[in-house]
Amino acid sequence: MKKIWIITGCMALMAVMVSCNNTRRNPGRAYMPDMAYSRAYETYSSTENLKEKGIYYTSMPVEGTLARGDMAGYSLKNDSSGYVQSAAIKSPLSADSIDLKEAERLYLINCAICHGTKLDGNGPLWNNGDGPYPVAPRNLITDPITANMAEGTMFHSVTYGRNSMGSYAAQLTTKQRWEVVAYIKSKQGSASAAKPAADTATAVTPK
Amino acid sequence: MIPCKPIGKKLTLTLLSVFVFSFVYVSAQDIAAGKAIFMGKCASCHQIGKNGTGPALAGLEERHKWADHNELLKWINNPAGYMKNDPYTQGLLAEYKSMMTGFSDITLKDVDDLVAYINDADAKAKAGPSTTTTTGEPEKGNSNAIIFGVISLILAIIALILMQVNSNLKKMSDDAEGISRPEQVPFYKNKIYIAMMALIFFAVAGYYFSKAAIGLGRQTDYAPVQPIYYSHKVHAGINQISCLYCHGSAWDSKHAAIPAVNICMNCHKSINEYVKGPKLYDEAGNEINGTAEIAKLYKAAGFDPAKPNDWDPSKAKPIEWVKIHNLPDHVYFNHSQHIRAGKVQCQSCHGEVTAMDEVKQVSELSMGWCINCHRETKVDFNYSDSTGNKFYSIYEKFHNDIKNHKMDSVSVKDIGGLECQKCHY
Repeated sequence: MKKIWIITGCMALMAVMVSCNNTRRNPGRAYMPDMAYSRAYETYSSTENLKEKGIYYTSMPVEGTLARGDMAGYSLKNDSSGYVQSAAIKSPLSADSIDLKEAERLYLINCAICHGTKLDGNGPLWNNGDGPYPVAPRNLITDPITANMAEGTMFHSVTYGRNSMGSYAAQLTTKQRWEVVAYIKSKQGSASAAKPAADTATAVTPK
Repeated sequence: MIPCKPIGKKLTLTLLSVFVFSFVYVSAQDIAAGKAIFMGKCASCHQIGKNGTGPALAGLEERHKWADHNELLKWINNPAGYMKNDPYTQGLLAEYKSMMTGFSDITLKDVDDLVAYINDADAKAKAGPSTTTTTGEPEKGNSNAIIFGVISLILAIIALILMQVNSNLKKMSDDAEGISRPEQVPFYKNKIYIAMMALIFFAVAGYYFSKAAIGLGRQTDYAPVQPIYYSHKVHAGINQISCLYCHGSAWDSKHAAIPAVNICMNCHKSINEYVKGPKLYDEAGNEINGTAEIAKLYKAAGFDPAKPNDWDPSKAKPIEWVKIHNLPDHVYFNHSQHIRAGKVQCQSCHGEVTAMDEVKQVSELSMGWCINCHRETKVDFNYSDSTGNKFYSIYEKFHNDIKNHKMDSVSVKDIGGLECQKCHY
């Protein structure tokens, strides 16, 4: 009788150990968590009480407000007349104040995923039609629409999104958006200036 | 009804492939030319099988007057002019809200090629799903453990039986030879046995107890179930999206923030199904339907894939992702300080996220772990050129020591990486 108990006990233990999953789904406990959890509002702390008032963190900023350290906002509206008017807007950044290396970093993170590291419209998401993205991103160098696009229109499109492209105002500040536009314009300029030796345009990119 | 289904399926399949092949055979060159034009001029707005910025082009010959390629040519060459006295295309503009770009350089031959390519691609897409029957079983990781467990159990039982047989045989031989020995003490009453068992018990229990005590407040391997099965492997690995595309605030703030819904929608406005990537599985080996997971995102975003142009991002509701990497409140950690000034790669602490479907915490994020890295990591002490950090110019003594070969490099510990107040204040 005793032996049966021992054997069933062993079997049960084995079953428990085998059925234990490797994926850890709970964060565990803290020892004396007096100073483990913040009393003050922290990033990602619950905002249930704000939700009741209909405030979500996906909301747009109040009109006329400006992020700290950002440059003055962009006044044109996201409509067809704003798009047409944007062609007359000039970049507020002077050419020598733009850090093209930083602009390239921003381009590679935010734009190259679709428009390609060489601005050829063939980023990893398109990949000659084999990527997951269903529509072809514009070739920023050769496509006549983007090659002749005014910098203001380009900024407008990055700010509000255009066709399939979404708005990048949440990821890039006003200044950063102008920097990215300046980077694209500089690449377009060097590509059209040095058509026969097209490789020089890509050769100057720092590693 | 066809009584024998597989044959019926095969029949339609062969018919389809014959159809496709004949098509390819007849006009392979035209299709290739059409594909080149489509990718160059049309694919920015049009897809074959789905509506996007513009309508889907599959079956376009059955719509309006497009069976007549001359009409189609007129429309493509000058959409604004064509539309003036054509209610059908006016309706299209009202539906899609963006005017089609005119391509005046397209010729009638180009239109023929384009339509040939579109029909071919459509037929291939329709034949596609029934031909692909690749299924991969997820690997079971713990099968070895089961085998070892069973083997050791069997061996233990055999050992017990043999011991029993041995003592019985001894008893029998003793009885036969007439030797009477004192009654054997059963092993659970034997003091040496008990003492040894107690020692082993305390050693094992002490090991597990101290291990559990050290593990209090640590979350290594923590991988919570997220509200949406989001695969970092698919996004950051296969599709090479930079970590900073979504977690951009890691560059200039304390937190590597979780992206808001609109950042997901930058791409998922157009990518509304998961078909091209590898199959996804949850931890129990059940297959995950990627398209259904994208639909969960659409629900949170308030996005209707049938009417992509009507989407209002400001109506989106946040997705309640579960935070994985948690530090106690009495520790200060700043992402930008580490990745921007310290030039630490994300993977150094978070592991190969690009290979993880479900993200789990790889590092233990304990104090010993932090300190160890601060002891070992060398500081890039260059401050003179544009890639360097001008802050390091204040450490004159270290620069002199390096110049005089008194020290070969500076670690984080030398510039205050072990000070309590660096992280606890």
